Amino acid sequence: MSLAGTMGGHTRKPWLKRLADTSEPYLYSAPSLILIVTVMLVPLALGISYAFRDIQLLNPFSGGFIGLDHFRALGEDTAFYRALKNTLWWTGASVFLQFTFGLILALLLDKPFWGRGVVQALVFLPWAVPSFLAGLNWAWLFNPVIGPLPHWFFALGLIDQPTNLLSDPHYAMWGPILANVWWGIPFFAITLLAALQAIPRDLYEAASIDGATGLQRFTSITLPFLAPTIAITVLLRTVWISNFADLIVVMTGGGPADRTQIVASYIFTQAFRRLDFGYASAIALVLLALLMAYSMLIILLRQSLLSKD
Amino acid sequence: MASISIKNLKKAYGTFSVLHGVDLDIADGEFVVLVGPSGCGKSTLLRMIAGLEGVTEGEIQIDGARVNDRHPKDRDIAMVFQSYALYPHMTVAENMSYSLRLRKVAKDVAARAVTAASQKLGLEPFLARRPKALSGGQRQRVAMGRAIVRQPKAFLFDEPLSNLDARLREQMRAEIKKMHADLKATSIYVTHDQIEAMTLADRIVAMHGGVVQQVGSPLDLYDRPANLFVAGFIGSPGMNFLEGRAEKDGIRLRDESFMAMGDVPEHLLGQQVTLGIRPEHVVLDAHGQGMPAHLDLVEPTGFGIILHLTLNGLPLKVFTLDRAVLQAGPMVAVTLAQEHLHLFGPDGSRIGGTSDPAAAA
Repeated sequence: MSLAGTMGGHTRKPWLKRLADTSEPYLYSAPSLILIVTVMLVPLALGISYAFRDIQLLNPFSGGFIGLDHFRALGEDTAFYRALKNTLWWTGASVFLQFTFGLILALLLDKPFWGRGVVQALVFLPWAVPSFLAGLNWAWLFNPVIGPLPHWFFALGLIDQPTNLLSDPHYAMWGPILANVWWGIPFFAITLLAALQAIPRDLYEAASIDGATGLQRFTSITLPFLAPTIAITVLLRTVWISNFADLIVVMTGGGPADRTQIVASYIFTQAFRRLDFGYASAIALVLLALLMAYSMLIILLRQSLLSKD
Repeated sequence: MASISIKNLKKAYGTFSVLHGVDLDIADGEFVVLVGPSGCGKSTLLRMIAGLEGVTEGEIQIDGARVNDRHPKDRDIAMVFQSYALYPHMTVAENMSYSLRLRKVAKDVAARAVTAASQKLGLEPFLARRPKALSGGQRQRVAMGRAIVRQPKAFLFDEPLSNLDARLREQMRAEIKKMHADLKATSIYVTHDQIEAMTLADRIVAMHGGVVQQVGSPLDLYDRPANLFVAGFIGSPGMNFLEGRAEKDGIRLRDESFMAMGDVPEHLLGQQVTLGIRPEHVVLDAHGQGMPAHLDLVEPTGFGIILHLTLNGLPLKVFTLDRAVLQAGPMVAVTLAQEHLHLFGPDGSRIGGTSDPAAAA
């Protein structure tokens, strides 16, 4: 080619042909690129742009660019800081309890017993229940008029009188957390069970011949084998749960007195109750940044753990 | 080190019976090989000794103590698995010292044991590596090292060489034998490879269908197989079998030709019997003396030559070191060495002194 180029203009291709040659790779990748841009990037950019504009559905004169005003307001919004604190609490307790019970369930289901197939299918059931339905169901369970739970708690001596847990400012958060744990256990149980079943059985046999007790086999074989799965599922669940407002919106609506308001439900309240889309977008952007930072942290942690191997 | 004694051991999965009553006494320091085709129960027997399978009936004793209900970790035995079963998240040194760490052996003692074992097995350069960074042969050595660091009462080997290529298998076979001569450890070795069984064993236990067929020294099994199964399983190329009817002074083969034999026991007269002869005991006669046979196929192995013949319509394998047969025509003459004939009765079990070990020697 370069040789031909030095020979002068006679051997050069017509410009249309050259254009076709250079644009060829772009043309091949164009369909998927266009699809990605229209479906993913355009809505994302629009959503982000809302955060810098004054968009209130009930105010026809809104829509102007206001810069960082929303973020300044957010910095002074005590409701937002309380929601942030609640989010930590809600996410931490939910993930921890879901993981713990999920792991126990997976270990139990890993042992062969009669009717295991049926039990495995049943365990998966809560995951198949729509989250709104689960929220309603649990809200009714906590309701002393129609639900049994307050009466049971009362009978056990846990509470003084059968009142609704969801309306107690100190313990209201436990309601959605309990529902969330019930709803999310199957995810951990099924993924951890799959990982457990991938561990070669002869490693356990070798370990028991080497003299390991059941607990030692668990810590020196099961846990190291599960670690990558645990890391990735906990990361995923943390992000999902901190974004997951369905149960809270359905069960408490963030109340009483914002005691169960998490950032995700606060966004929902701002956008669809106060109809202030601009402010809601600004909060969402902050949540996005926080979750990205968290994900990067976990990925870095995982990388450093893997490179140690 | 310890003796192991097995009494009327049975194993069944539900109604499906795998072992039908095995009796075996293994002396202190003995190397016993369990050999048999797939599904004969040899691995099940080994795993029962290890404690990885429950005992349906019977008794296992290690050093005179009943261990039927003892957990594997309390039996003080070591096992080398076919898959090696190395802990992938531990280094070679950690793999080897795992059992010592579990027993809370002092760190320096454990380190010395690992060093000694790794020296013996040539693993010193790899101590800090993980199993996935090792070749198959090196992994095999680590599995052996893991077994020898603890100096257990007995070593169990479950087809430890079957994942290696032929050359490496030969080499490791010799190393296992050397290691046994060195450690004098009671060892039970399971294999389906009769060459491994012959070369390694002090005593071979040939198994078939969950039943012990014969127990004896390798040459015992080779020279005096107790029945048709052992005769056919031990030796490569396998023994030739000729079916016929017992008559006075010999056997009338199926094609009505007569094979003279010394003394046919009287109770066999008129019965269906099987004549066995090993391929190396069939003599090819260059001078055309003997029975005429058609040469079908020649398989030179380098070391010797395997010939596939048809003798009176019956297939016959011959093994010879004489390369002259490569020039032989389609017809050759063969004689069956009388003193090497094996006679098996109607039930497949061996009939008397047709092949005296003294005569064979």
